[in-house]
Amino acid sequence: MTLALGAAAAYGGALADALVRAPSPAAAFLPGAVLGAVLLVAVLVFGRRGLGAALFLAGGTYVAAVVSAGSTVDASAPLVAVLLLLSGELSAWSVDERLDIRSEPRLLWRRGAALTALGLAGLAAAVLVAALSAVPSSHGLVWAVLGAAAALGAAGTGIWVARR
Amino acid sequence: MTGYTSPRLPAYATIAAAGLVAGLALGRVEPIALAAPFLLALVAAAAERAPQVSVDASLDRERAIEGDEVTATIELSSADTVGRFELVPLLPPELSVDGATARAVHLPAGEKQTIELKLRCERWGVFTVGQVLFRARDILGFRSWEGGTGEPRPLRVFPAEETLRSLVAPLETQVFAGNQVSRARGEGIEFADLREWRSGDRLRRVNWRATALRGSLWVNEQNPERNTDVVLFLDTFAEVRAEGRSTNDRAVRAAATLAHLYLQRKDRVGLVGFGGFLSWLVPASGMRQLYAIIEALLTSQVVHSFALRGVDVLPPRTLPPKALVLAITPLLDSRTAAALLDLRARGYDLIVVEVSPLEMVAPRPGSSLDLAYRLWGLSREALRWQYEQVGVPVVTWREDVPLAVPLEEVNAFRHLARPA
Repeated sequence: MTLALGAAAAYGGALADALVRAPSPAAAFLPGAVLGAVLLVAVLVFGRRGLGAALFLAGGTYVAAVVSAGSTVDASAPLVAVLLLLSGELSAWSVDERLDIRSEPRLLWRRGAALTALGLAGLAAAVLVAALSAVPSSHGLVWAVLGAAAALGAAGTGIWVARR
Repeated sequence: MTGYTSPRLPAYATIAAAGLVAGLALGRVEPIALAAPFLLALVAAAAERAPQVSVDASLDRERAIEGDEVTATIELSSADTVGRFELVPLLPPELSVDGATARAVHLPAGEKQTIELKLRCERWGVFTVGQVLFRARDILGFRSWEGGTGEPRPLRVFPAEETLRSLVAPLETQVFAGNQVSRARGEGIEFADLREWRSGDRLRRVNWRATALRGSLWVNEQNPERNTDVVLFLDTFAEVRAEGRSTNDRAVRAAATLAHLYLQRKDRVGLVGFGGFLSWLVPASGMRQLYAIIEALLTSQVVHSFALRGVDVLPPRTLPPKALVLAITPLLDSRTAAALLDLRARGYDLIVVEVSPLEMVAPRPGSSLDLAYRLWGLSREALRWQYEQVGVPVVTWREDVPLAVPLEEVNAFRHLARPA
């Protein structure tokens, strides 16, 4: 129940961010958001498939809202990205926990730690992407190398987390 | 092992690809930032490799009695770290585990993990335990590898025995020494009668008190202790099964109890499994025979058959003369009913213990099935009357009463009625 609520909260946060940034009328973005929310509820309540579609709709709504709002870069994009990833992971975890399996308590902590690490690494990667886009391309090779190294570092962190 | 990927990975890949394409098409960074964590998750999933796991299951013993607990030990080890290792031992429904059967553990590389399962033997039978289905997953569940392993190990669960204080004594005994006081006169301990001395009588048999009273030599007569032949006739043509209970289960428990107790009395005990699958054991005595009977009972099951079958298909040695035939039957199949009447006609000392199925299928009061149920009860009553007419005691063993009750009824019947 806690995991499902967490997944719904993360999804709701991402949708709220999208709708807040949407230009008026914001209602034009509502159908996608509502459909995505319904799909997520179906996943969480009935364990049905459709998680990917729900995440896709939320992401699409956000991108549409940001693009329609104007040309300035939205600083909250990394947060929305991580919220969507967390929503997906928490939904999958919630469905997994419904299976009648007696598991060690430390497995919960390990998965929680791995998910936190994945979320932080994802946030770092998204922030890097957003930050690098703000750097003018005329700043030269050093920045490009730094960006590539950061991306590799983020990917390495993800691999390390997943292998633990 | 078969590898699987989580259904969310293709979704993540689609979101990441769509984000990158949208970023390029729109010339915006937000879709790419949105795709970045999903790409990271994909990279993490791609880095996973199939682990080399070893699973070994064993039982603390191979024989148990109904109601016992057997400990199954499953030893796990892996060459690589497995974030979450799930396993389900394949257990027959007759063996139960408290709580969930499936277990999940973290399996570090090179370390041995031991899982103990307490298996409760709910029903008798021969089972195979030891095979395990497993799934090795990374901790976030992106990828998994499934397989089955384990060497099948046999577990024999013997039927629980009923408590009996006395058994039904056969009308006639055999020629070997045993614990049953024979009706015949001969060398023994139990006093039978007095008679006048005859040439050849031993001096120690002279009853001096009677001799002094009557003025001539009188001797004591005794009943010798002899063994008996008992044939357990198990009806496996049909059974009634409801909510995990069945008439055949109870019949097997009764047969095991009776075999054990008669063999303890040095009697010879045989077994006839009369049903779709015919089986028999020639009467014999001793511990070996007890195990043979129990093994035969463990594999006895109700096999539906339409073959017309009578007692003439049984080998003659299976039913020795003067044997007590104890039929344990739910009286559901007319072929058994006819075979038992045939046995009686051949002069066997027959007792029918009816394992009552009535309580197991009793309809709710006021149900439309009530009439059919009553008619069925009446037809069973008529069948019992048929047996009683030929001098066969038929006792009903209800589910909630011990086996001793119907056997005492047989003894009471035998005191009151003379065999035909």
